[in-house]
Amino acid sequence: MKKDILETKKGNFEITVTVNGELKELSVKNGEFLLDALRRHGWKGTKKGCDTGDCGSCTVILNGRAVLGCLVPAVAAHGGELTTIEGLGTVRDPHPLQEAFVEAGAVQCGFCIPGMILSSKALLDRAPRPTEAEIRKALDGNLCRCTGYVKQVEAVKNASARLAGGKRKRG
Amino acid sequence: MPDIIVKPASLKELWKTLPGLPAARRYLAGGTDIVTADNAGVERSECWVDISDLPELAGVEETAAALVIGAGEKISGLERSAAVRRWCPVLVSAIPHFASPSLRNMATLGGNAGNASPCADGVCALVAEGAFVRLELKGKRRRLPLKDLFTGPKRTALRRDELITAFEVPKRRHAGAYLKLGPRSYFGISKAAVAVAAELERGAVKSASVALGSVAPVPLYAAGVSAWLAGRPLSAGTAVEAAARVKAEVSPITDARSEAEYRREMCGVLLERALLSLAR
Ligand SMILES: Cc1cc2nc3c(=O)[nH]c(=O)nc-3n(C[C@H](O)[C@H](O)[C@H](O)COP(=O)(O)OP(=O)(O)OC[C@H]3O[C@@H](n4cnc5c(N)ncnc54)[C@H](O)[C@@H]3O)c2cc1C
Ligand code: FES
Ligand code: FES
Repeated sequence: MKKDILETKKGNFEITVTVNGELKELSVKNGEFLLDALRRHGWKGTKKGCDTGDCGSCTVILNGRAVLGCLVPAVAAHGGELTTIEGLGTVRDPHPLQEAFVEAGAVQCGFCIPGMILSSKALLDRAPRPTEAEIRKALDGNLCRCTGYVKQVEAVKNASARLAGGKRKRG
Repeated sequence: MPDIIVKPASLKELWKTLPGLPAARRYLAGGTDIVTADNAGVERSECWVDISDLPELAGVEETAAALVIGAGEKISGLERSAAVRRWCPVLVSAIPHFASPSLRNMATLGGNAGNASPCADGVCALVAEGAFVRLELKGKRRRLPLKDLFTGPKRTALRRDELITAFEVPKRRHAGAYLKLGPRSYFGISKAAVAVAAELERGAVKSASVALGSVAPVPLYAAGVSAWLAGRPLSAGTAVEAAARVKAEVSPITDARSEAEYRREMCGVLLERALLSLAR
């Protein structure tokens, strides 16, 4: 893939990014952050809570690592591979984490949830059977103003049991 | 954000590219400090030079005498490194207190040092580890004790365009602890932080180094109490007296996060606790 960025017109750049498995050419503006570029191009699942790195609602997975879209210049994602909440599941076929969040009642207003779920996914990819302490630490940078976190921790525990159980059956 | 962001693919390309760039330029590593400063309107460069994928700054390597930590390695990469766990007990103890998991996926030790904040957790831990910093400017290299890199709040001994390439932690068997006092137990900037590294021998301290965060204009190497600890038994009495001594070495200020007197008191409390934790 070409690594150089092509200037299309003053202040606009074409970047190539794989978003949720699909190769995309996105025009991004000068000075634009990844979070804003994603939302402008229609991936509105990624939320802006603070724009300062404090709340975690803009979490996306870039090249295998959960990062904060509000602190990444959009051009820095050029050539990269990105997973947003839209890439995890659909309404008809939700990801086990999404299912577990709904079943545990871990979602109130829902604003923090895309970030919560992506941080949880990053945890489960690395540690399929985390302890409660590990779950709490992994969600440390994801603030929720509604739930008090108890149900979210429970949801991640349930999802981890389900995912690990599923793997055992398949294996 | 500046209009120009360039991303050289190697150190060689970096040195070749620099002369053609606007004079008001800065390095962009994880961006977690520089972007925050940019948002706050205090960062006004015309150009950022993205060094986040420079292969020469990545990785952790062991030599005969030292552990060499790449300045561009992500904090989360260090978290998972067996060599770091083996040789850097203070840093290992500091990492869980460093920002949040996603920020640790972005942030680097090079940026932690380059930003030169007195509350930098990674730097404070590395100062206690007795680390050296490797610098490079257009192929010319030099090496400094990390504690000498900082000359004031947000000020360093770095020359224009000089790049931090790595940190060297001397290999030695030692124990370490990092205690940070913040508004909550994790994820927050410290009111005060204490880092202790100590070589222990039969219940006594053979040598020690104490560093403190957020209580001086720079990440502070507490030379007085570090020297005093050498040769003392690792006992409750020693911990209490070390606590009294360290309070005389710090120069905290009152700001939005805490008050000077409270910070001074807490340096004593944290050092006492840190020393006692090594005895266990
Ligand atoms: C919400 C939030 C919470 C935070 N919590 C903590 C915390 O708990 N503890 C803590 O210590 N920090 C914390 N930070 C600060 C920050 O994450 C760290 O200081 C981090 O290590 C900076 O690294 P970076 O790679 O992101 O640096 P950048 O922002 O990319 O760079 C910082 C500065 O260093 C310079 N620089 C970067 N790399 C080099 C290099 N190799 N050579 C020379 N100069 C260089 C840059 O030009 C810039 O001036 C927090 C930040 C945020 C936004
Ligand atoms: S919007 Fe990015 S952390 Fe809050
Ligand atoms: S559910 Fe409302 S912020 Fe978390």
